[in-house]
Amino acid sequence: MADTTSGAAKKRLTFADVVPGASTAKAGKLAGNSYVPEIATVVEIIQETPTIKTFRMRFDDPAVMESFSFAPGQVGQLGVFGVGESTFAITSKPSEKEFIQFSVMRAGEVTQALHKLSVGDKVGIRAPMGCGFPMDAWKGKKILFVMGGIGSAALKATIEYCLEHRADYQGVNILYGATHPTNFTYQYDIDEWQKREDIDLTLTIDRECDGWQCDVGMVPAVLERMNPDPANTIAILCGPPIMIKFALISFMKLGFTPEQTYTTLEKRMKCGIGICGRCNVGPKYVCVDGPVFSMAELNELPDEL
Amino acid sequence: MASKYLKSEQLPAFLESLAKNARVVAPFKRDGVTQYEPWQSGKDVELDVLLAKQSPKEYVFLQTETYLKFGYEMAPVPEGAEGEDAVPYETVKVDPQNEAPKQVIFGLRPCDVRGFVQMDQVFGGYGGFYFDPLYNARREATTLLAVTCREPRSTCFCTSVGGCPSSREGADVLFTQIEGGFFVEPITDKGEAIAEAAGAALTDPTDTQATEANEAKLASATKVDPAFDLEGVRDALHDNIADKRWADLAMRCVSCGTCTYVCPSCYCFSINDSIVETKGDRYRCWDNCFNPVYTEETSGHNPRAKKMNRFRNRFSHKFWYYPDKYDSLLCSGCGRCIANCPTRIDIREVIRVMGAPKEAPAASGAVAASAAAAAAVAAAADTTTEGKEA
Ligand SMILES: Cc1cc2nc3c(=O)[nH]c(=O)nc-3n(C[C@H](O)[C@H](O)[C@H](O)COP(=O)(O)OP(=O)(O)OC[C@H]3O[C@@H](n4cnc5c(N)ncnc54)[C@H](O)[C@@H]3O)c2cc1C
Ligand code: SF4
Ligand code: SF4
Ligand code: FES
Repeated sequence: MADTTSGAAKKRLTFADVVPGASTAKAGKLAGNSYVPEIATVVEIIQETPTIKTFRMRFDDPAVMESFSFAPGQVGQLGVFGVGESTFAITSKPSEKEFIQFSVMRAGEVTQALHKLSVGDKVGIRAPMGCGFPMDAWKGKKILFVMGGIGSAALKATIEYCLEHRADYQGVNILYGATHPTNFTYQYDIDEWQKREDIDLTLTIDRECDGWQCDVGMVPAVLERMNPDPANTIAILCGPPIMIKFALISFMKLGFTPEQTYTTLEKRMKCGIGICGRCNVGPKYVCVDGPVFSMAELNELPDEL
Repeated sequence: MASKYLKSEQLPAFLESLAKNARVVAPFKRDGVTQYEPWQSGKDVELDVLLAKQSPKEYVFLQTETYLKFGYEMAPVPEGAEGEDAVPYETVKVDPQNEAPKQVIFGLRPCDVRGFVQMDQVFGGYGGFYFDPLYNARREATTLLAVTCREPRSTCFCTSVGGCPSSREGADVLFTQIEGGFFVEPITDKGEAIAEAAGAALTDPTDTQATEANEAKLASATKVDPAFDLEGVRDALHDNIADKRWADLAMRCVSCGTCTYVCPSCYCFSINDSIVETKGDRYRCWDNCFNPVYTEETSGHNPRAKKMNRFRNRFSHKFWYYPDKYDSLLCSGCGRCIANCPTRIDIREVIRVMGAPKEAPAASGAVAASAAAAAAVAAAADTTTEGKEA
């Protein structure tokens, strides 16, 4: 989709700029029309939790599949024709070339339609969208992931990226909370992460539960107990609004600055390309300026999160 | 190209000549309401009513535009296929739509034209954003023939936002009403092509006609009252974001969204699907940021659940958010939102109050107070004249 942007040039584009030699209405079909989804086929479905399914899909056009790449933190519009599109974080490994993956929590119309899909069904995808995390700028730092519930989807690709480039980062620390042991997504990966020496993983559930071996307590409380050192650390936070609210207070108590604390935002999106105006928080659009923001950036925005 | 003269009696013939190559759209009055409609032979263009109820934006940015047709169908099984390959399966075909018939809009006002100029930034990828093929196809196929305003209304404030009743910005041709007809100024290549095609309907103007047109322009500009000082509005909106007066100003608003639909530059939209059996459409349609559902998420969480937040968002978007992204304003001062609001919310008042720098510090209290008093007197005088006109 990147070919339709004009870079940093402050100029209004015409068809002549977008499709050299064409200035007719027909050009619209050629001009890398960002509204037209790529068709993809569901190749695998994983039931993660009672309400979350992970979908792996392959673009029907092999050239699209081959050239597809994204930055950790970026999102896409995934849709069922006849029902509509919704925004989801891309949860595949950034190096994955065989499929693109999304993890979807059943909520309303589109997500219910997605949950009814079977392997072999067709979907429409517009991706990638938005800006990812500045992974290069963070080289040499410790990365602390703090996530709850479906927030794990937003951070999955970024965790995978850190693990694939483990030597670039001084440490990888994950705090993951869920209401109940059955509500952890990516259980198969968690098993792997637990085995690895180079990841510091803390799992917590809200209340005691038979057979549970890890921590118990709300994410903010566990975070304070962990007492991470803010020095040379980037904290990335994603989860339900209430968790974010209290985890932020904990972070500030622990001495983290707004500049080193990041989150990814959700806003109702439609176009996903900075035009329809649906996803704004003050002067920022979640779809093109985000969804990744530092707390320092969010502090500048109206209180409309 | 040099300026021309069009006799009033020749207007139908002129439009008829345009209609040979394009759809012609102009303001017409029906049942007391003036709206932009496709022109047909025998229909009289309405130019005495200053502004049509709605802006002509819907001819370029459609209220509802299907941009994708799709259909589910069974993929053909290859001949001689066996086993798994022979199992029929369902697939989906998509067909992007992007129609853009040639059209000429006649009779729009400079503020309506400016609405297009402002939307052009959004849809044209200005500042590194995406290029919108749907809007731009229609925009490039459209020629704008603007008419200078003769009798600006009490709700007009184009001059306060950098426009004027005879502005040429964005217009392909500017028509100015003078004795017996129009003074016609082709501005762009598209405009010149129109003038050329019109042939004998356009004649050379006399010097007196040129002078008369100039005087008409000057006269109309003086009829637009200054509404506020644009200088510093953006920064003041930024600084006043948490100001309690936003709630006072928003109190009367009933969140109906009329202001967004009549506005020539409000452009936000939603995207939806419809399907009947196996065939369906994906379309975009105008949306309205005053609707609480606009931002409501499935969980029930709503970042702008309060009316005050939605109200603040619209005005801040026009004078702060949009300018930050696109280096211009998102209001051309047409005043439609003032005239059509059921509760008479006045954008000029909102900007006067919230777009003014925060009060001066207490040290210069006496000076500030006397300045405020002077401003109050001026404002009172302002309201009286407005009251008389309306
Ligand atoms: C940047 C971003 C990343 C996201 N990542 C994920 C993810 O990885 N996994 C996941 O399960 N969910 C994610 N969401 C939330 C997901 O988009 C919504 O749950 C989904 O849109 C609900 O759609 P629906 O049709 O099922 O619900 P309905 O209530 O039927 O939706 C109505 C409309 O509201 C919009 N909508 C409703 N709630 C939201 C919301 N919270 N965010 C955005 N749009 C909304 C939808 O676009 C839809 O058009 C993300 C949202 C954003 C903005
Ligand atoms: S905001 Fe109001 S005055 Fe400004 S262009 Fe829109 S309708 Fe006209
Ligand atoms: S037209 Fe008036 S009442 Fe309706 S949403 Fe706009 S400001 Fe509010
Ligand atoms: S989703 Fe359309 S502007 Fe962000």
